[in-house]
Order: sequence, then C-alpha cells, then structure tokens
Amino acid sequence: MARTSVTIDYSKCGNYTSGIDPRECSRCLNVCPPAIFIRHEHLTAKPKDSHDPEFWQITAVWLDLCTRCGKCVEACPLKAIKVSW
Amino acid sequence: MCQWCMKHGAGGKWYLNARNYSNELAEDMNLEAYLTEQWMNFETVYIRKIMGFSSIGLGYKLKMPIIGRLLRWQAENMIHSESPNRNPVRADGHFGQVIPVEEAKIILSSLAAEPIIQNYCMCRMMQRGVKDVCCINFGALSGVIEKLPRFIPKDTRVRLGREEAVAAVEEQNRKGRVATVWFQPVPYVNAICSCEVPQCGGLRLRNDFGLNTVYKAEYVADTNPDLCQGCKACVAQCQFSAIRYSPTLKRVLVDQAKCFGCGLCRDACRFGALKLVPREEVPGLIGRY
Repeated sequence: MARTSVTIDYSKCGNYTSGIDPRECSRCLNVCPPAIFIRHEHLTAKPKDSHDPEFWQITAVWLDLCTRCGKCVEACPLKAIKVSW
Repeated sequence: MCQWCMKHGAGGKWYLNARNYSNELAEDMNLEAYLTEQWMNFETVYIRKIMGFSSIGLGYKLKMPIIGRLLRWQAENMIHSESPNRNPVRADGHFGQVIPVEEAKIILSSLAAEPIIQNYCMCRMMQRGVKDVCCINFGALSGVIEKLPRFIPKDTRVRLGREEAVAAVEEQNRKGRVATVWFQPVPYVNAICSCEVPQCGGLRLRNDFGLNTVYKAEYVADTNPDLCQGCKACVAQCQFSAIRYSPTLKRVLVDQAKCFGCGLCRDACRFGALKLVPREEVPGLIGRY
C-alpha cells in the first residue's frame, strides 16, 4: 500500500496570525477516527510548560493508521491540512 | 505470572508488591527530578527519535526488513529500561498492565502511597484535545503533577481520599474504560489509568505496533454457553475486538487470544455468563501477556 502523507501548513495553523490556538481548536484531533494526530510542544520550546500558543503545534504522527477518510481536511477551519498518497 | 512479576513481584504479581509503592524506593531512585522532566515534556514523547529515526510514521519504519527489527529491539529496550542513565523525556521505563477493576480497588485502598490525586488524562489531551479527569496518580508523582497547571482539573478537587479514589476508578469502569496500572519508571508503581482505545498512548503502541507498553491482564474472559442469552451487551463493551456474536450459535464467542482480561464484558453481562479465569489456567495462553 502506498504511504499516506498528512501535511499541516504551519503558516496557517499554530501561528499568531491565524488567531487560533491549536490547543483550543484541536478539531482534527477530535474528528479523526483512528486518532493519528498529536498535539505537542515544540522540542525547542523554552520555558517548559509554557502557556504560549506559539510553542504548541499539531503533528500527524501515526500515518500508517490513516484511513484517508478526509474528515480532518473538512474539519479544519483554516484549510491547513492536506492528505495525499 | 509475567517476567516483571518474577523480577519485581516478590513471589506474587508485581503490582501487588508493597515494596514497589514505597517512598523509600522513590527516594532511592531520586524520582522527583526524573518524573518532573518526564511530565514536563510528556506530549513530545511520540515525536522523539529512536536510534536517529523519527517516530512519525513508526508503523512503516517497523516493517522495514533489517532496520525495522533493530528499531523494534531498541524501542522495547527503551520502554523496559532499568538502566540508571535512562532518558526521562522519552519516558523510558514507563509501561503497565491491564487489571480488572477489583484489583485496581485493592491497589487504591491499601497499596497506593499518599497523596492520591486525580488529573487530566495526558493521552486524551494529547491525542484528542479533550480534557478528561480520569487518571489517578499517587506517591512521588502527585507532587510533580501538582506543579504542572495543564494537568490540574479546574472544577474538581485534585487530592482524593482512598474511598474517593476507589469510587472514581469504579465510575470510569462503568463508563467502559479499561483499568491499567503503570510502572513509572520500573520498578516504582505510581499510576492507575482508565484507558480507552484508540486514544491511549500505551494501548496504541501495543495494539497497532505490537510493542509491549501494556501487558495483558493475569486473567482472561470465559463464557458459559448455557447462561449466555445472546443479548450482545458485552460486545459493545470490548475495546479489543475480542468478542463477537454468532448468529448460528445464538450466543457470544470470546477470542481469548485477543482478550486483555479487563473484565468490562463480565460487568456488562446481566446473566452471569462471563467470568474472568486466570490466564495460566488456559493452556494456550500460558506466558502470553
């Protein structure tokens, strides 16, 4: 089976200009049936346990489990997610 | 009994050995610094590297011919690490086992070290963006989590008495969640979680990638064909697809090879047709955790 790639455009999501904090939105996480997304701090984030939304982002981690249903693409208010294979 | 009972069980099950809960053990292992580092960085655990390979798309990487086997070996080593220089940010030495709710109650009512706290489930926050007061942590971990505001529930009390903790885990079980007990890090025991597939990090690695982050319980479900009425109430409870209804036989069938022994199906059965039997009494399942 071809490998799935789920890309998130970070210039739209998790950025001050979008006005949406990925921790508040999290719609892709919520809608994904196999829960392949992870919401995490940047590895470079300092100080730790920061409340600054700039340090948080969403990554599609479990790509092998993606069923390509496209629910995340529909749910994203910023149109930042692309699923391709 | 599994290999961890042999090692840390003092002749019994590892999670029923009082030594694994003791404050002295936590002090000996200097756990406060380790757990603080682990919990501060917990959300990043799945994007860290294993042997230089990013965990993103892990399933594909584990299937690669030679590198995949090396990766799996290394990941298992990390998960079960008892070495003094294990790495807290990768949550080395953090793994657990499914337990039926009655054993979770025994742990919380007599073994767990004070203080006992409840906090937001890290896995559900990380993988679903949902804040759910569910995990019960105790001993050296409680003080660590209390200093990290993102895990602290807003509307409910953080610290629990023993009876309240028992009631909380029973309530989660009624909702259909699987009780699990965790080494963190091995051999110190400090958490009882109420997990749910697929948004549990531990069960995800076990079910989808075959890594032993969560072991199956010491028990396995067994049906009594004479008592089963075929109402299918248990089928809806199983998180591991181990039960299905057979229209031919007009009763349910348990796939014991898939069963994790959590006991949710037994609690759902109104006719007493399901019970938990020790895993070691089923010949085909001895030693298969």
